[in-house]
Amino acid sequence: MGAFFAVAFFFHFIIRYLELNRRAFVTIVYFLAFVFTFFNWYSRSRFFLGDIHFVFNQFYWIDALKYKNPLFFVFYSLFFWIILGYAFFLLLKAFRNSSGVTHDKLGYFIIAIGFGWIGTNPLFLSAFRINIYPYSNFLVALYPLLVAYVIVRHQVMDIEVVVKKTLVFAGLLASVFAALILPTLLIQEYIFRGAGVGGKMLGLAISGIIIIASLRRIEDFLINVTDKYLFQKEYDYKELLKTFTGEVLTVLDLNRLVKLTVDKLSDIIKITSCGVLLLNNEKNQYELVASNGIGSKGIALSMDNTLSSFLNRTRAYLSVKHQGKDSALPPRIVEDMNKLRLELAIPLVAHDEIIGILTLGKKKSDEDYTQDDMDILLPLAGTLAIAISNAEMFDELGKTQAEAAQREKMAVIGTLSAGINHEICNPLGIARGQCEAFLLNIKDGLYKNKSQQELFEKAKKIMEKVIHETDRATVITKRLSTFAKPSKGEISYDISVKHEIDEVLELVGYELKLDHIDIVKEISGALPFIFGDKKQIQEVFFNLIRNAAQAMDEKGRIAIRARKDTRKVVIDIEDTGHGIPGDKLTQIFNPFYTTKEPGKGTGLGLFIVRQVVERNRGRISVKSKVGEGTVFTLEFPMSAKVKV
Amino acid sequence: MAVKKPRIVAIDDEPDFVDTIREYFQLRGYEIDAASRAVEGIELINNKKPDVVVLDLKMPGINGEEVLGLLKSKQPKAKVIFVSAFDDSGKTRKRMLSAGAFAFLDKPLNSLRQLEDTVNRAYSAK
Repeated sequence: MGAFFAVAFFFHFIIRYLELNRRAFVTIVYFLAFVFTFFNWYSRSRFFLGDIHFVFNQFYWIDALKYKNPLFFVFYSLFFWIILGYAFFLLLKAFRNSSGVTHDKLGYFIIAIGFGWIGTNPLFLSAFRINIYPYSNFLVALYPLLVAYVIVRHQVMDIEVVVKKTLVFAGLLASVFAALILPTLLIQEYIFRGAGVGGKMLGLAISGIIIIASLRRIEDFLINVTDKYLFQKEYDYKELLKTFTGEVLTVLDLNRLVKLTVDKLSDIIKITSCGVLLLNNEKNQYELVASNGIGSKGIALSMDNTLSSFLNRTRAYLSVKHQGKDSALPPRIVEDMNKLRLELAIPLVAHDEIIGILTLGKKKSDEDYTQDDMDILLPLAGTLAIAISNAEMFDELGKTQAEAAQREKMAVIGTLSAGINHEICNPLGIARGQCEAFLLNIKDGLYKNKSQQELFEKAKKIMEKVIHETDRATVITKRLSTFAKPSKGEISYDISVKHEIDEVLELVGYELKLDHIDIVKEISGALPFIFGDKKQIQEVFFNLIRNAAQAMDEKGRIAIRARKDTRKVVIDIEDTGHGIPGDKLTQIFNPFYTTKEPGKGTGLGLFIVRQVVERNRGRISVKSKVGEGTVFTLEFPMSAKVKV
Repeated sequence: MAVKKPRIVAIDDEPDFVDTIREYFQLRGYEIDAASRAVEGIELINNKKPDVVVLDLKMPGINGEEVLGLLKSKQPKAKVIFVSAFDDSGKTRKRMLSAGAFAFLDKPLNSLRQLEDTVNRAYSAK
């Protein structure tokens, strides 16, 4: 039975550990394990383990060839190898895609499992009467050793909490047992000897009282002792400080900052829930912007809410420990605290204003927050408040930049108007001309000798043309207005580089054709999606293609190439223009740098292009040779979303 | 009517626009040939020796400005009327007029009558 369920347990563990979602698969594996067990138990004689015998007098195993139905063993072997192989494959995949500590952890795991495998392999051989002395079995010992090492060294799982709880429980059990046995025995044996049932009951009652009176204290004592001697809490604090100063507080992206905060806090302090509420100045309320373990999203506390006004008034943290000690907390606060699953709420004060609230839930160890905890959490919250306030300011700055980008875009569209005008006015001219000609021809009596039928056919043709031409004008107008609208800051995960480039070429293509510029497109068909703000990415292409066109007076070639490179999509936009001399090349991304005549360029184009590219997690670089041309290279990380 | 009507060549890269003009002028007794590519247009100009050329400015390949230059050197008598949607706040219009174009009309035309009048004025202005 162990052999059957070991496979299922191992598989389940790997799936859970890698945080994959394969519930159905796991269920099936458990079911199969159950089926094997069933046949093994109830149909032993007919199906399965035929003859368990000793090999080399030390290792017992089964003899597959002796079964009444050896196929069954083959089925089991297949089950065993396929499931374990798949789990191992998932592990390897995760290992390749991981980095840092996770990478190390997975590496150890894989080595450990490898030893385990090599160790157990020969057992299967012996089942088919290939008897090799299984020296390798000793390797199995390395498996738990390595796993134990990883658990201790890299804190895989919350093993500390598990161990601690187990120790405390064991201690408690021993105490209770002692408390129960000792008084009862003493009383029964020495004091009320021969007092019969009544004496025994009295002994039990006394034991009970002792247990009830001392249990909580014993538990506290045990927790303290385990903490003190087994788990030096200072390590947590160090890690907390290190992580926050190094990884979290330097993040300038507000969303990422708060998400990292709740993740890392939950992780390091080992709490069941954690959240950050930030002040929304427009709505004048605190909104939950990031959370971990708080079920409901979109919680908002208005200013007149009791919890927020309480924090605003006291400017001090609020803990459930305040409950019931000096005075009871108002029920409305308790309600909010329950809603946010918090044990501790710390106001985030920056520039003398409470810009947010940090909420911390129950510790997984069921302990209360100690003074030591507060000594580190309060200064941490102070620094976090400053970091959040910085990130908010940076966000504002980004918006100002976005406005500048929009102005630049409108300026570019202004210079585009010649080409677009052509595209709109031509169809309008045709539509108008067709209608006017028809009417004038009637007026001038030129259709006099045409029959009704002929005139009808003529009118029909004209109508069809008018519809066709107005549609043409509509398409270009729509495309232009979509392009001109400011971006909403939405992130799409399915941006097709090919599609966006085609859209841009539709917009600028006619002008390029007029200027005798050839467009060469080499865009790989199987390009993965990229992610980011679709409009901004379109703007980037638009600016670079237009720049390329402007770099050539007339006649030339713009090559647009896109290819996949590991986890990125790389796009080259190459022109055969004048090229940029080396000393200028470093300046072209600077604001207000322009080589165009006054009034023709704002000099913001490439500056904004780079800002926009970087905001979309991309990179831009440039290579140029005077007289030969310039290549701008864009790199965007590929999206996790798979192309269908 | 005894008045001789001008011979016209129209060049525009929009075939439907060229057709409209051709039909309009043909019905009214003008001798008109039209092309939607500048190369063909130049050939027509060489063969037909038109009095008036109705010309688009922005065309792929050879553009209207180049055709104008060609006409000025080869057939200076022919009058050129631009009909174009290209608009750069009048700069190009000015340049064309000073380069010898008779008129520069915007697309869409206010009226085909206006074009007809302009053609006739150009013809009688020689």
